Amino acid sequence: MTEYKMFEGCTIGNRIPFIEAATRRVFEKLGVETSEAPFSCCPDPTGFKSFDDDGWLAMGARNLCIAEEEGKDIISLCNGCTNTLRGVQHKLKHDSLKKEKINSELSKIGKSYKGSVDVKHFVDVLRHNVGLDKIKSAISKPLEGLKVACHPGCHYMRPHEWMETDDDPMRPKTLRELVAATGATVVDYEEEVICCGSAVSNAYEEIGMQNLKRKLDGVMKAGADILVVNCPACFQQFDTNQRTLSKEFEAKYNIPVLYITELYALAMGVSPDDIGLKYHRTRLRDIEPLGL
Amino acid sequence: MVMDFEFRKQVMDYHQGSEVIKYCYQCSRCTDNCPVSYVTDEFYSVKYNPRYNILNALLGYKDKIFSADPLAIWGCTVCDTCDEVCPQKIELTEVFTLLKNQSIANGDGPDFIYQQAKTVIENGKAIPMQSAIERRRQQMGLPDIMAPNADELQSLMSNMGIDKKLK
Ligand code: SF4
Ligand code: SF4
Repeated sequence: MTEYKMFEGCTIGNRIPFIEAATRRVFEKLGVETSEAPFSCCPDPTGFKSFDDDGWLAMGARNLCIAEEEGKDIISLCNGCTNTLRGVQHKLKHDSLKKEKINSELSKIGKSYKGSVDVKHFVDVLRHNVGLDKIKSAISKPLEGLKVACHPGCHYMRPHEWMETDDDPMRPKTLRELVAATGATVVDYEEEVICCGSAVSNAYEEIGMQNLKRKLDGVMKAGADILVVNCPACFQQFDTNQRTLSKEFEAKYNIPVLYITELYALAMGVSPDDIGLKYHRTRLRDIEPLGL
Repeated sequence: MVMDFEFRKQVMDYHQGSEVIKYCYQCSRCTDNCPVSYVTDEFYSVKYNPRYNILNALLGYKDKIFSADPLAIWGCTVCDTCDEVCPQKIELTEVFTLLKNQSIANGDGPDFIYQQAKTVIENGKAIPMQSAIERRRQQMGLPDIMAPNADELQSLMSNMGIDKKLK
């Protein structure tokens, strides 16, 4: 299989590396090969892009240049990073004047953007390059009886012109298929494609919290044991803010949250200690089918 | 209300295809599907309303946009739902990016956005590496993160005058 340049991103790499640990274990088991590169921040499609759009393009293009120098595609572990890098590619591909402008800036630091590498979300690599059959055969501890609510997150599939996934941007199914491959049951809930509220929380916490409440009320109503995600920003919103939410609304919010690669690591027999499961804030131990 | 034709032109010329904003027929599908409008909806008034932002941008009502409570622009959580559901294929979030960029240049953006930009430009990462995390990475057998070339990134940003927008 091809070797990808690993784009773990600022949040996973520098704040919650236990997710990277689970992901690397799963990659090893499934034969996904990666190597490191000195990438900078992607930068954030909800933050830095709002600060300066051209700056966002230039910084993103510089990261793409680094992968181009080695002629290798990027695998991203984060919705936001994938969204930025694919968005930058899309914009520079369809706007030659912008591309010229960004390249004239890049040339001053000795770089030139061509558009010759691809950027893949790890979920798409698992689903399409590895495939469900290979995943199923690597599962040694099927998670039968576990009820899972999926949260693919906005920037995995929207805007669809940038992301070019096979998925429907308003009814995505990739994460659902990946979860079902473990033997767990995917539950339906109406709020599945609604944002976790992470981006707006930075400026208006109360709006983010109301959004989170709407989401979790749906998850609880559907009877899910856990919530599975594929984005570190969503992960943090769900894992760290449920306690605050419970205080604010005098209700009990404690749905455990797992990254899809953490779910896989457990289903593939990796020890919870090896993937730092203890760093989660929400309580996983009571969920019987996980066998912790 | 005064129309600012220069601002209107900036909106229309913002990126390829942004002139389709003129086809907005105010159907409100964007607002009806916006999660932030949903939670800021109070009896007959929505505090955050993408449909209004598009109308004001289209009409060149610059003052109306920038003199309002910053929530009117910054309430957006950038979930890209409005772009998907708009029947006229208007890329709303791109228009909102222009509005946010101008709000930042006016010095009116949320503190968080300035802080994040400062951290990224200074360190090359939105979250700088800490020694505790470095140790945790080693304990879990993870490779060291290769440090980005922050000097090179800073030159790129300062050549483009982006650091001047920092507070
Ligand atoms: S959905 Fe599109 S056409 Fe309808 S009001 Fe919103 S921007 Fe205008
Ligand atoms: S991108 Fe912003 S305006 Fe559009 S639906 Fe999401 S929160 Fe609302």
